[in-house]
Amino acid sequence: MPAAGAVPAAPEASGISGMPAAGAVPAAPEASARSDMPMAVAVDAQLKTAAGAAPTSQTAGARARHLWYAVVFPGLADGAESTTALRRLCLYAQQFTSLVSIEPPNALLLEIKGSLKLFGALERLHAGIDDCWRHLGLPARSVTAPTTLAALWLARDLRPHDGTPLCLEDLGALSGRLARVPIACTAWDDARLQTLRAMGVTRIGELLRLPRAGVARRFGKATLQDLDIALARQFAPRRAFVPRERFRARCDFEREIENAAYLEKALEPLIARCAQFLRQRQAGVQALRLTLRHREAPATSVHLGLASITSDPRRLTDVMAQKLTRLELAGPVLRVELLSGPLQPLSAASIDAFAGLTRACGARGSRDTAPQLLERLRARLGEEAVYGVVPIADHRPEAAWRRVHELRPMPASIAQHAMPRPVWLLDAPLPLAGGLILQEGPERIESGWWDGKGVARDYYVARRAPDAPVAPSIRRQSRAANSHGAKLWVFQERQSKRWYLHGVFA
Amino acid sequence: MPRDAATLADILADARVWKLTDASAAPARPVWSTGCSSLDARLPGGGWPTASLIEVLLDQTGVGEVQLFLPALVACQRGRGVSDEGPWLIWIAPPYEPYAPALAQQGIELGRLLVVRPAGATEALWAAEQALGSGVCAAVLLWLKGTDDRWLRRLKLAAESGGALAVLFRPERHRFESSPASLRLLMTHGEHEPRLDLLKVQGGRPGPVDWHGP
Repeated sequence: MPAAGAVPAAPEASGISGMPAAGAVPAAPEASARSDMPMAVAVDAQLKTAAGAAPTSQTAGARARHLWYAVVFPGLADGAESTTALRRLCLYAQQFTSLVSIEPPNALLLEIKGSLKLFGALERLHAGIDDCWRHLGLPARSVTAPTTLAALWLARDLRPHDGTPLCLEDLGALSGRLARVPIACTAWDDARLQTLRAMGVTRIGELLRLPRAGVARRFGKATLQDLDIALARQFAPRRAFVPRERFRARCDFEREIENAAYLEKALEPLIARCAQFLRQRQAGVQALRLTLRHREAPATSVHLGLASITSDPRRLTDVMAQKLTRLELAGPVLRVELLSGPLQPLSAASIDAFAGLTRACGARGSRDTAPQLLERLRARLGEEAVYGVVPIADHRPEAAWRRVHELRPMPASIAQHAMPRPVWLLDAPLPLAGGLILQEGPERIESGWWDGKGVARDYYVARRAPDAPVAPSIRRQSRAANSHGAKLWVFQERQSKRWYLHGVFA
Repeated sequence: MPRDAATLADILADARVWKLTDASAAPARPVWSTGCSSLDARLPGGGWPTASLIEVLLDQTGVGEVQLFLPALVACQRGRGVSDEGPWLIWIAPPYEPYAPALAQQGIELGRLLVVRPAGATEALWAAEQALGSGVCAAVLLWLKGTDDRWLRRLKLAAESGGALAVLFRPERHRFESSPASLRLLMTHGEHEPRLDLLKVQGGRPGPVDWHGP
């Protein structure tokens, strides 16, 4: 569907949290009556025109189906920086409506008709959005009009110190208001503007008086299309801004924080914001990076790893608290920054709604889940300190297993061995002096010649002879190796004929 | 005039009479069979008690101490796996690397086995307390060189709240220290095969066990 991105949606519930005081006021009866029109019908009609049907003529005085709030930031210059800035401003704008569109180089378009019911009167909503820019200290010129281009052109035309905000709701008044706008506000290319000026056309109104066919021939279909869009004769789909898939936030403290416990408290709002950010996007993260800035010392970076994708603030706080309690602060903290890892869709599998029910027989109401426990252990003990083990199909005992840090249930591939395997395996085989009582074996293992770590060994289950001499080096390294009762897993290297201890049956 | 002397059955039926056999024979907590009938017979309830602390004193590694618990570990991993959030086994600070092929051979589901390597004893105890209290684990095995009585009590409380099988392995030199564990075992290597002694059994009778090693 071509216009999918432009379909104005009803304001989502997530928009409520960040909105200013105006949003808390219940919708005025007049406003709610106006927005009674079913949105689906409106969209349907618009789509028909967008699909190439003849431009519908709007009756004078009709209420517009859409209302576009256009804001121009004169302070933003053209360039990559302004695009980044606009993206960030979109995030602010999204508290008012879900459909925010970027108009390069320095403008934003917000569809606010759908938000009227939630926010009350139009003037109020308009002023609320304006307040948002004022709080940010950004000079902005804004206009609300029934069409995107009309709003945009009018906003560009607006002088910096015009008194009341311009809110046009009436389609009938639109062409009259647009007529006075200079053609430079359309931001068409210079060649077109030059030709128009040469023809004596300086304002939109003068252009509108020219015959359609002539305009189309001289300035291209695009010019005519722009005019049609501005006058609501044609619908122009807008691509909604989709926010960047990372959470990044910082928090400057009024006074420096020296205590990790206070820091934890101060970070809670930041985590809450992060969780809300994730919830709004139906997404989760598996890693977060916390950067603590000090006045003098270099910044401290803390990695918060999570066992599974989550957006649960409790789990995020939990991991953060564990990390912070173990942290030695290099100095008082001036500022903290929180950056999420890449956002990942929160799959149904990772939401565990009934986990509490299955263990509800327990005394406590809220039990941990396995990922939570794993995270808490990892946060305090380190990522490497908590792991699982999996068998690998390899004949060499030291290559037949490995550590895994991603824990998930796996189908057990049980290799049947002729002889039992010990529960404990030594990190490296220990040389033995001899004095063994062999009980089972040999099991010959000869493998791995292809990767340079070939082995040729005969394995035995053995016990140490009670009166056997023990080398001091072994006594230091392994108690099991020198005590005569233990059941050992030993091997004789076939070439050197030397004995080694490789495992302990426990 | 005193009431007519009741029969023995009447006295026993009286709710005010507390019967010693009941207390030991019917524990409220589930137990896991040890896989060895002579040992089961000596334990109250007929198996390893859950939601309490089991302390195993060893004079060395390799006397079959893990083997002693493997049947119960396999059973509890299978037994409680009703939901997707199945029971976990956590081994904290084992003396050597747990060898995956051997465990898989014995029937342990390795996807739900977690090995934890803490830096020190305090960290190990903390990890054990977290694991026991979380309610996620079916069994927590902890190896420690030494610890004080206070920490053992904390472990026991955590185990009671989480309902897991909690096993603590300690060196034999702690044998004469007091311990809040409800079951204390001593494993030594005898002349020919390992010996198993019950040092303390709550609701049972201590003494050596006829056990034939791993």
